[in-house]
Amino acid sequence: MNSIRLRLLAWLVGPILLFNFAVASLTYLLAWTPAQRAFDDSLRAHAVALAQDLRAGIDPARLVLAREPEDLDSAWFSVRATSGGRLLAGRANLPVAAGSQVRDAMLDGETVRVTSRVVAVDGEALALTVATTVRQRQQVRSTIVRALVLLEVAFTLSLGGLAWFSISNGLAPLARLRSALNRRERADLAPLDPAATPRELAAVVIAFNSLLARLAASARSQDAFLADVAHQLRNPLAGAKLQLEWLATRHQADPDSVRALALMKQANERMIRQTSQLLALARAEPSRSIRARFKPLDLAALVAESVQLFVTQAAGRGIDLGFELDPAPLRGERFMLRDLVDNLVDNALRYTPQGGTVTVRTSMGSDGAVLEVEDSGPGIPAAKRARVFQRHVRLDQQSSGSGLGLAIVRDIAKVHGATAAVADAHGSSGALFTVKFKI
Amino acid sequence: MQVLLVEDDAVLSDGLTRVLQSHGMQVDVAADGLVADKLLLNPRCSVAVLDIGLPGIDGFEVVRRLRARGSLLPVLLLTARDAVEDRVRGLELGADDYLVKPFATAELVARIRALARRNAAPTSILSVGQLTLDPDTRRARIGARTLDLSVREWAVLEYLLHQLGRVVSKQQIIEAILPWGDDLTTNAVEVYVSRLRLKLQDAGIEIRTIRGFGYMLEANV
Repeated sequence: MNSIRLRLLAWLVGPILLFNFAVASLTYLLAWTPAQRAFDDSLRAHAVALAQDLRAGIDPARLVLAREPEDLDSAWFSVRATSGGRLLAGRANLPVAAGSQVRDAMLDGETVRVTSRVVAVDGEALALTVATTVRQRQQVRSTIVRALVLLEVAFTLSLGGLAWFSISNGLAPLARLRSALNRRERADLAPLDPAATPRELAAVVIAFNSLLARLAASARSQDAFLADVAHQLRNPLAGAKLQLEWLATRHQADPDSVRALALMKQANERMIRQTSQLLALARAEPSRSIRARFKPLDLAALVAESVQLFVTQAAGRGIDLGFELDPAPLRGERFMLRDLVDNLVDNALRYTPQGGTVTVRTSMGSDGAVLEVEDSGPGIPAAKRARVFQRHVRLDQQSSGSGLGLAIVRDIAKVHGATAAVADAHGSSGALFTVKFKI
Repeated sequence: MQVLLVEDDAVLSDGLTRVLQSHGMQVDVAADGLVADKLLLNPRCSVAVLDIGLPGIDGFEVVRRLRARGSLLPVLLLTARDAVEDRVRGLELGADDYLVKPFATAELVARIRALARRNAAPTSILSVGQLTLDPDTRRARIGARTLDLSVREWAVLEYLLHQLGRVVSKQQIIEAILPWGDDLTTNAVEVYVSRLRLKLQDAGIEIRTIRGFGYMLEANV
């Protein structure tokens, strides 16, 4: 049994049921035994009355059992001579009981209670036997049993319900713990508060916290490893880039070399891009200390710092890249925000066909700084918008992105308490990405 | 122009050397912090380009020792790490500029030139494509033909030439040509640039507009 609730229920309700059964059996005995005795006493009284009649000299053949008309039970008697067993009066096949006790016997296939006694009449010993069916006492017994069973069932059901309710109440801290864990963000590995949980759970919470701490440490070392690898890759990538550029200027005349070099440059750029994205991802992991590092910045100035990079990219793709940069002060982490801007613009440039336009805007909205990147690309169907910010989601198979860019945007926005959304572009068929910060 | 390049990654070092040489610079190369430190005892170069992660002593230490000796040699730090602490530390120790790998080649060349200009005599003749500008005589030519430029046009063109291959904002242009805080609107800058474009049609260079931001002067390929 793998449920604490069921285990508790079984251990609570099982013994109580057993105990109830014992009590019910006792109740049955206590109720049934006196009733049985009363019926037997009345049978004996019949025997005594008949014996008195015999002793008073009444002819056995004229003996009559006194009967109430509403009696359910049939009753018979027999009088025999003790010597020889000759039947003097009454029913012939009535069994004779030994001794003066009331006993069970069978008569024509029906259970009867029988009592016999010896009566001395005129020096002759006569055996008097009285018998009665047990219909009424059976009725009494079944009434008792029925009442007891009903009572027990009602008792058991209400007890079970109460136990269930109490157990659920008792297990509420577990449910709270579970929902607290369920509510957490993907990367939230902060420890649980052992003071907020009952004593019995504290040990579990503490053990869980140490697991969380180990997980957080391994996540951190994973991030550090990622960042380290990404940094290590930058030197050879930068070197290859320069060598390729140099080769390209030397082999301008040879179309085959130009083509091959252009492809190698593309591959190189892609590796550089994805290395930066790995770094950005490692950086965007939310940590507790991050907000302490936030500084007052201007989004417009941040975009301006990256303009050179964007212009080079846009020129390579034949895209008209424009800016509308109004002051947009906010508090944030410079490099993360640059990653955010880079990835949004890179995404727009990637999905905009040659000859298209991309416009980057910064402004102050009613709640705080706003960054907008609008493109004239194919746009994003409303049905797919919810998914674009997930990792490794690409909207078409032609683009060469890693599918990480917009996930990075979302992660960084989240760290800054900002929201990232996508809508239709104002002027064209393209997409409009908006990141709204709060002051 | 003489550049000391200190970089331990052989591929990158070789590539940088070629690039800088192709832009008319003479390049000395060192791959070790201690060697660089020794070379910088008597610097023959006008700019030092230093990687931070170096064997021997790191780039930070090289800069620190250089400044401790009282040298004003312009230093550009290169790094694979873009943590803000690194940048702050580098600049605090006395580096003049900071560039994160991998960088755009034009960016690197422009920054080295800007650093070199800071210490160089202001007489160097600027030339791109067919265009030459002599700041000494204030004479501009396209090929052999003399070009007539107003004072403001000259200032804008000179600034753009200094920033060859780099995007500059209109505000940057205003600040560069009017160091005394005179009032000039961005519209005026646009007017100067459009006049310059007319005059530079056959100069083999192009002033590209970066919509809503500024301009970039490029040599036509």
